[in-house]
Amino acid sequence: MTIKDADIQKLSEDLYSWALRKVPEDTKVALAAARDRETTDTARRTLNMMLTSANRAENDNQFVCSDSGVPVYFVKIGTKADWNANIKSAIRAGFDHLVETIQPPLLKHVTNPLTNERSYSGRHMPIITYDLVEDADYIEIICSPKALGSGRWAAMELFTFPTLETIETYILDVAIKAGAQHCPPVVMGVGIGGTFDYCTKLAKEQTLREIGSINPDPQVAAMEERLCEAVNALGYGPMGTGGATTVLGVHVDYAAGHGFTPVAVAFNCWINRRTRARIYSDGHVERLE
Amino acid sequence: MSAIRNIDLPMSRQTAESLELGDMVTLTGPVKMTAGMPTHQRILDFIDAGKKMPMDLSQSAFFHLGSYSRDTGNGIEILYMNPTTSTRFNHMMPRIIRHFGLRCVGGKGGLDSACAAALKDVGGVYLSFLGGGAPLHSESIRRIEQVAWTDLVSHYRLVAMDVAELGPLTVAIDAHGQSLYDNLDASVRQRREQIIEQLNLARARRD
Repeated sequence: MTIKDADIQKLSEDLYSWALRKVPEDTKVALAAARDRETTDTARRTLNMMLTSANRAENDNQFVCSDSGVPVYFVKIGTKADWNANIKSAIRAGFDHLVETIQPPLLKHVTNPLTNERSYSGRHMPIITYDLVEDADYIEIICSPKALGSGRWAAMELFTFPTLETIETYILDVAIKAGAQHCPPVVMGVGIGGTFDYCTKLAKEQTLREIGSINPDPQVAAMEERLCEAVNALGYGPMGTGGATTVLGVHVDYAAGHGFTPVAVAFNCWINRRTRARIYSDGHVERLE
Repeated sequence: MSAIRNIDLPMSRQTAESLELGDMVTLTGPVKMTAGMPTHQRILDFIDAGKKMPMDLSQSAFFHLGSYSRDTGNGIEILYMNPTTSTRFNHMMPRIIRHFGLRCVGGKGGLDSACAAALKDVGGVYLSFLGGGAPLHSESIRRIEQVAWTDLVSHYRLVAMDVAELGPLTVAIDAHGQSLYDNLDASVRQRREQIIEQLNLARARRD
């Protein structure tokens, strides 16, 4: 068997639809733990409503949010996978078919940045990045539709030989600027170093990490822990109306670079849209989340 | 836990003035909604030109909610609705609030202090909706009364509807000019240095 266009198309479509209706399990667990930690009625009730909304959407096959975002896919191609497909066009075809058939229908969010005109398609849509996975015999696709509520607060800045204090203060200030706005509690992804483009990619990928996963690098794990405490100390809380949980996790990765050190921060709102599946060379599909 | 109070709309000024920051309420009665920047601009254009609005917003509950509406041939239905970020409309809301004497505004993320001052002037409140609450908010819709400005994309249209127990919604700006958002921002400004110091101490302990 060989992985074909039709397999990629079908999976891209399914991943998007699942992402709109299903809050990931790790996220629900983190929200429930946050609810049990909060001390005010408002914060506890708000987290409870989040869990109720998530369960209702999943059980009744509804959308959690009306902003279905723009299509964003990450494709990881196994170097031992057997495939013969125009992956880019297949994903585009999958999204186009989703737009035509999904129930309930999507709102128009794909926006021409030069005219602000909105539709279901546009230049360079869907946004897709590609990577290789050595020795794997599958193609993994992650779908993380990006909406305005949290998308608009991502930020990056370039420093020159910064200290850790400079880097962490910047990350905290990005969280302060987002404040109550990005449907907290959020997941924060942070990229440090590399180049301008690579750093933002690292930050984005860190928003996709499992909440509660511990960074294998002890220095980075410690940074994640103290940043998580610092951002939660800000007190914005669930939906930004006050509380101890502004962030469910701060996930950091870094790359070696040249002394000019970019730092990028990206957010996922509490519904944490993220679905992931693999198509193996024999054609079978494994849904991972 | 304090009780969640259901309030019938239209809300009186007296009721609005009785609400305190952090209170949670549900609403029953007529509300208006839109999620569009062009819609807000058009409202301002109508005010400037002294034109009659397609629906009366006076003393109403006006929310930043995006919705998918469609004509079934037997009336218009809303398939889902959910809040959008209100702060996007900060620069437009004070005039709209004052012109129509809005009693309730709402959405997510709040409004700035100029909007809070406008709400104080007219005796209105800002109510925070759960973002990502489409299944909960949508089931409160009893009837769609009117969908105006259908030349705009669905979520930008101006919709009048009747809801039952919409919410719970959190009172985040009261009718006396107090704002949870301003309070939190002030608290963060005051504590930022201290939080950075704690970060530095935590880092130093590791080193």
